[in-house]
Amino acid sequence: MNTKIKVNNLDLWYGTFQALKNVNAAFNEKEITAIIGPSGCGKSTLLRTMNRMNDLIEGVRIEGKILVDYVNILDSKADLINLRKKVGMVFQRPNPFPLSIYENIAFGLRIHDSIKRDELDEAVKQALTQVALWDELKDKLNKSALNLSLEQRQRLCIARLVAVKPDVLLMDEPCSSLDPQATARIEELMRELKNRYTIIIVTHNMQQAARVSDDTGFMLLGELIEFAKTGDIFTKPKDKRTEDYITGRYG
Amino acid sequence: MERHFDEELKDLKEKLIRMSSIVEEMIEKSITALRDREEELIKQVFEKEKTVNMMQIEIDDIAQKMIALRQPAASDLRFIISAIKINADLERIGDLAVNIAERTQTLLKEPPLKPLIDIPRMADISQKMVRESIDSFINKDSKLARDVCKRDDSVDNFNDQIFRELLTYMLQDAKNINRAIGLMLVARYLERIADHATNIGEDVYYIVEGKDIRHHIEDK
Repeated sequence: MNTKIKVNNLDLWYGTFQALKNVNAAFNEKEITAIIGPSGCGKSTLLRTMNRMNDLIEGVRIEGKILVDYVNILDSKADLINLRKKVGMVFQRPNPFPLSIYENIAFGLRIHDSIKRDELDEAVKQALTQVALWDELKDKLNKSALNLSLEQRQRLCIARLVAVKPDVLLMDEPCSSLDPQATARIEELMRELKNRYTIIIVTHNMQQAARVSDDTGFMLLGELIEFAKTGDIFTKPKDKRTEDYITGRYG
Repeated sequence: MERHFDEELKDLKEKLIRMSSIVEEMIEKSITALRDREEELIKQVFEKEKTVNMMQIEIDDIAQKMIALRQPAASDLRFIISAIKINADLERIGDLAVNIAERTQTLLKEPPLKPLIDIPRMADISQKMVRESIDSFINKDSKLARDVCKRDDSVDNFNDQIFRELLTYMLQDAKNINRAIGLMLVARYLERIADHATNIGEDVYYIVEGKDIRHHIEDK
């Protein structure tokens, strides 16, 4: 199994508050890794560091390394445009642009590549097909994306990412605004996407982590307490704190 | 944090403990019936089996509901899975005690073949293994659990020894064959009881340590 992302001795401060403490982890290529932990444990912070979304926050300071394909993305000379193309993110609330369905996907393609109209049509079709929206939406491509259901919007956001051919999909609570059926379908989609992409998902829904992921990391107060195969974490965790959290004793 | 779930787990554990004490009593009574030729005890063993059977169904039902409704993980999950297995082992031990009682019923129709020394000793060890496997379960004592498993060999040796001895009785006189086979079967039932106690010991070890010691897998 190849390591896609390696995190080495990562520390992160928001001002004087240390949100990540000496985190070390290896994320496997074409697998799903879940990061679980109580609110405020640093799981979203860790996720955002992987495509440098934290750069946008004032007073943030980071030490350590994050290697994506062996290149340290925290380096001051790192190419952020290419990084964010390679490592895309899906958020809690589906956030399509207030444009047509077609334009939502074409937007990123135009930014990243100079692309001809017929190529663009094909790329839009491909992206929508990958997230199983094409059949539903092929006749409504010029309608506004804001009229879609929440699930469709979330799928569209994923399509928007896969259109620019990333390697890694970061998902921050991607199902938290969806109902159980829609959640199940997005999880199914994740399993299909796993064949092509490395997926890292942050979730406080432990059952979801157990259902979809290959590896699971448990975080607490900025530390990565335990990182192991999901099957092992949920049957015989090594650390007492992991045990307490997943059996609901934490609190 | 104390969880409501802990109450349910405790309830499940208590039911298993109650079941095990009934099963233990069944072994005790069936062997006493054989050794002291007390026919009255046989009926008591048959009566108790009905209770054990009902408890087995009840415990499985509770455990199944817990898995469905609570989605247990980690030590909770290991506990419930093992409780289901221990439940089956205890029920089988109860059946074997009934088998001993049935055999005894036949044996008591004839005069004793020989004074019984080894079978009661073997019964003591098997019964103690059952009791201590349950003690290890109650106290989450992985050391005791492993200890129980190790004693299985001595019970197997008893079984072989008793078998050889009874064979000589059969060779001496064909009229002994019926009773000798009856006693051999009793020894065999006791040996099986010890096997089930060993299974329980292995399950307890897994609950406590999260490590599988069945079939000497740890040495492989």
